[in-house]
Formats: sequence, structure tokens, C-alpha cells
Amino acid sequence: MTTQTETPLDAMPNEDLQRLVEFAQLVTAGRDAMSDEIVTRLAGAMSEGLNLLDRLTRNEGLMHLLKVLDRQDTQYLLIALSDAIHAASQEIPAAPPATGGLGCMLRVARDPGTQEGLRLLSVFGKHLSHSMREQHRRGG
Amino acid sequence: MRILVVGGGTGGTIVANNLARRLSAEIRARKVRLTMLSASDKHMYQPGLLYVAFGQMTPDQLYRDQASLLEGSIDFHVDPVEQFHLDQNKVITKSGKTYEYDILVMATGSRIVPEEIPGMAEGAETFYTEASAVKMFKRLREIQEGTVAVVVGVPHKCPIAPVELVFGLHDYFKARGIRDKIKIKYHYPIGRIHTIKEVAIWAEPEFKRMGIEYETLFNVSEVDVENKVVRSEEGTETPYEMLIAIPPHRGMEVIEQNNLGEGGWIPTDRFKLTMNGHDNVYVVGDTTNLPVSKTGSAAHFEAEVVSENIASIIKIGTPVRDYDGKVYCFIETGHDSATYAMFNYQNPPDLKPPSKPMHWFKMAYNQMYWTSVRGLL
Repeated sequence: MTTQTETPLDAMPNEDLQRLVEFAQLVTAGRDAMSDEIVTRLAGAMSEGLNLLDRLTRNEGLMHLLKVLDRQDTQYLLIALSDAIHAASQEIPAAPPATGGLGCMLRVARDPGTQEGLRLLSVFGKHLSHSMREQHRRGG
Repeated sequence: MRILVVGGGTGGTIVANNLARRLSAEIRARKVRLTMLSASDKHMYQPGLLYVAFGQMTPDQLYRDQASLLEGSIDFHVDPVEQFHLDQNKVITKSGKTYEYDILVMATGSRIVPEEIPGMAEGAETFYTEASAVKMFKRLREIQEGTVAVVVGVPHKCPIAPVELVFGLHDYFKARGIRDKIKIKYHYPIGRIHTIKEVAIWAEPEFKRMGIEYETLFNVSEVDVENKVVRSEEGTETPYEMLIAIPPHRGMEVIEQNNLGEGGWIPTDRFKLTMNGHDNVYVVGDTTNLPVSKTGSAAHFEAEVVSENIASIIKIGTPVRDYDGKVYCFIETGHDSATYAMFNYQNPPDLKPPSKPMHWFKMAYNQMYWTSVRGLL
């Protein structure tokens, strides 16, 4: 039976009280370890982070890019792009330096890989030009 | 619709950024044009000057490029306004350009005028400019003993500054181990130690606890630089070793020169924040003649109301909010504790006991300010 002098703390199990004390010790330790400089640096980083996040989330172009990147087929393209970057980084340093001159140009132009690459660039260029014309027409 | 914001301080920057966010679709569709004219390409965090005066911050930490704080859709020019032609809805700038507007926001701020009190500019330290705050810190480092007198001119920006200064001085000299050799004497122009009654009631026992002497009804009449004595209009005087003044303030000269308001303060509707007699002219921050504190906090809350109302006028043809006089002031009660005062037209402040977390909140706000002026907080 509860008496009038009993407080809520008296009714609390010892283990709970111990946890409360430990929590208070944790808070006190954290508080003692903090300094004005730490608070300033943390708040500065948080402030800049928030500003950056705000700018990124309100950047129409970036949001559109994220939407496109979210599509499964674009993700395959990204994987292919990553693979291509890796393969190129291996191939370029191993290839002999270009000898120059028209003969060299012709050899490169005859290479099916070069032709594939040029076709990819021209398709990309065609769609980019089309999209830019469309944006301009809409007043972007 | 052409919106022109004159002034790139706290109030003007928040108004412009908030409008750019709220009216982004209208700006993109070229139905609204938002222009800001400022006297400087730099933006200063003015409350930081008190920290500079105590060596807790360096001046470079107080500045950002104004353009970097503004939304990209704001047409920003460093070209201060020299002439206001409110009857013709246009202003003329220093470079001679004319800017016409449909809605004008005046946020020109205030300036210190220590020269209005004989001897104050030469004899007193202040912390209201970068140079004077650095000079004050150097003087504080030099002083070894004697009386440090604090005097307060009226009106002045940031009503809490005088008590924060005194608490800071107490902690500064204590940390240097010379508090017992320094007498801090505080002088205040009215019959209690602070203009806000609740702050006065709270601060008086704190002053007593810290051993700070004070004299009320002390309106500075002159500073006798040669004899190091400050005199009051009431006929009293205090000899000093170092004098620190909260100088009197006025609105900007351009407001007085254009006869827009006595003392440079523009007569403003306390709820609508429009200039009396001009419904398309809004006033924010120190520039108003409102009976609220001249602080960044008041400018911030006013700016929120003004930008929301301008945006709603454009969108639905009517304003939607009134300013309730809200002010939120941090009060640094030394170098490691703080409290705050929040009040409005209706409710006086209810000050809580100072604490270290509150001081850290203020430290954090010093950084978060840049997020705040961008219109995010």
C-alpha cells in the first residue's frame, strides 16, 4: 500500500533507477566534453549541409536527372558507363602512342570501335539538341 | 509585377529570398520581377560583433558574399538608392539608374551616431562596427585595473546588448584573474536597469551577484576625454579608466534626406507593416518606427509576414497575415551561459534561468543564421 510520503522514485525498480543514473552520467559526460568550438563547427556543418540540400532539392534539372536515373533502363546505362570508364582506363595507358599523320587517322577511322563510338555520340548529340530546342521553346 | 527590395541586411535578404521561393513559378513565367538594391556586396552577421569585442570571433567569420545568400532568380545590384519618389513609384540610385516598382520593400537599417554626444566618438569604445569591435578587444586586453564604465545612448539597436556586454565583461575579467581590480559600472538612461521591465527585474539580482555597480537615470551629455569623465544630463558624473558606449542610433541618412521619417525611422503600420499613407510600400527591420526592438530577430519575423503578404497579394489579391510584434532575443549571460526573451505586442517576456545548453543554442544559431537569411529557417 502506498503511503503519503512515498514518491514515484520509491516505486521505481532499482534497475530502472540505475539506468536513469547511467543516462544522466552519459548526458553529463557529453556535456562536459562539448565546447563552444565543437558546437560552432557542428552547427556550421549542419547549416551548410541544409543549404546544400535545399539547393539540390529545388534544382529542377537535378531532380529531373534523378528521376531519369531512377529508371531501370537508365541504371543499365550507368552500369555500362561505369564499365566503359573502367575498360578505357585500362586500355588507354596500354595502347601505343598515336603516330600522327593521315595514315594514323585512317586506321582509327577504319576501326569499328571508333565508328560505334561516333554513332553513340551523334545519337546523344541529336537528342540533346532536340531537348534543348524544346526547353528554349517552353521559355526555360 | 515589379517588386523592389531596398537594403540587403537581415530583413531585406529574408524578404527577397522568401518571395523568390513563394513566387518561383510567377518569376519563371516572367509575371513577377524581383530586384534587390544594396549598398554593399557583403553581408555581415551583426550580432557577432559582440563576440569580436571579446576575442571570441574574428571579423572574417562575420561576412558572406551577399550574392551567395540570394536565390538565383533575384536581380541583385550593388547600387544604393539616393532618391525615393514614392508618388511616382520609382527610386534613383547612386549610379543614376532609375528603378520603377509596383511594390517596394524598405529595409535600409540603422546607423550609429556617437558624434551626437560630445566626446563619445573620441573617448568611448564601441562594438557596432568591425574596426571598433577589434579596437575594443585590444583595449580590454590592455586594461589591468580601474573603472570600466558602460553608458547607453538612445535609441539603440539590440536592447539586450547593454546587459550582455556587462555579463561578458564580468566573465572576461574573471577569466583574466583581475576581476577584483576592475570596477564595472553600468549606467542606464531610464529609472530601471533595462527598458523591458521583466529583463530589468531579472537582471538586477544578477548584477548584484556579480558585484556590478549601476546608476539609472543617466543620460549621457558629454564625455570629457581629457579627464576621463563621463557626465549625464541629470548632473552626475563617473570617472573611468575605460569607457564603453552603446551609441545612439538613427535610421539611414537617405531616409532623412528624402523626408520619409523623423530620425530616419519610417512611420509604419504596426500590423500590416506598410508605410503610413503608402499601401504598396512595406517597411521591415530597424527602418520602422515600431515600438519593437531593433534586432535581427524582429526583422526576421517582420520579413516573414511581409513576404507572405506580398506573395498572397499577387496570388489571391489580398494579404493574409498581421505582424504580432514577435521578438526572440538570446541573452548571453556570460561566456558559458545564456537565456532568452520572447515577447510580442500582447505578451511580455518570461525569462528562464540561464543555462549552458542555451548558450550552445546561441553558438549554433551564430552559424544557422546563414541558413536563416536564405529563407530556409
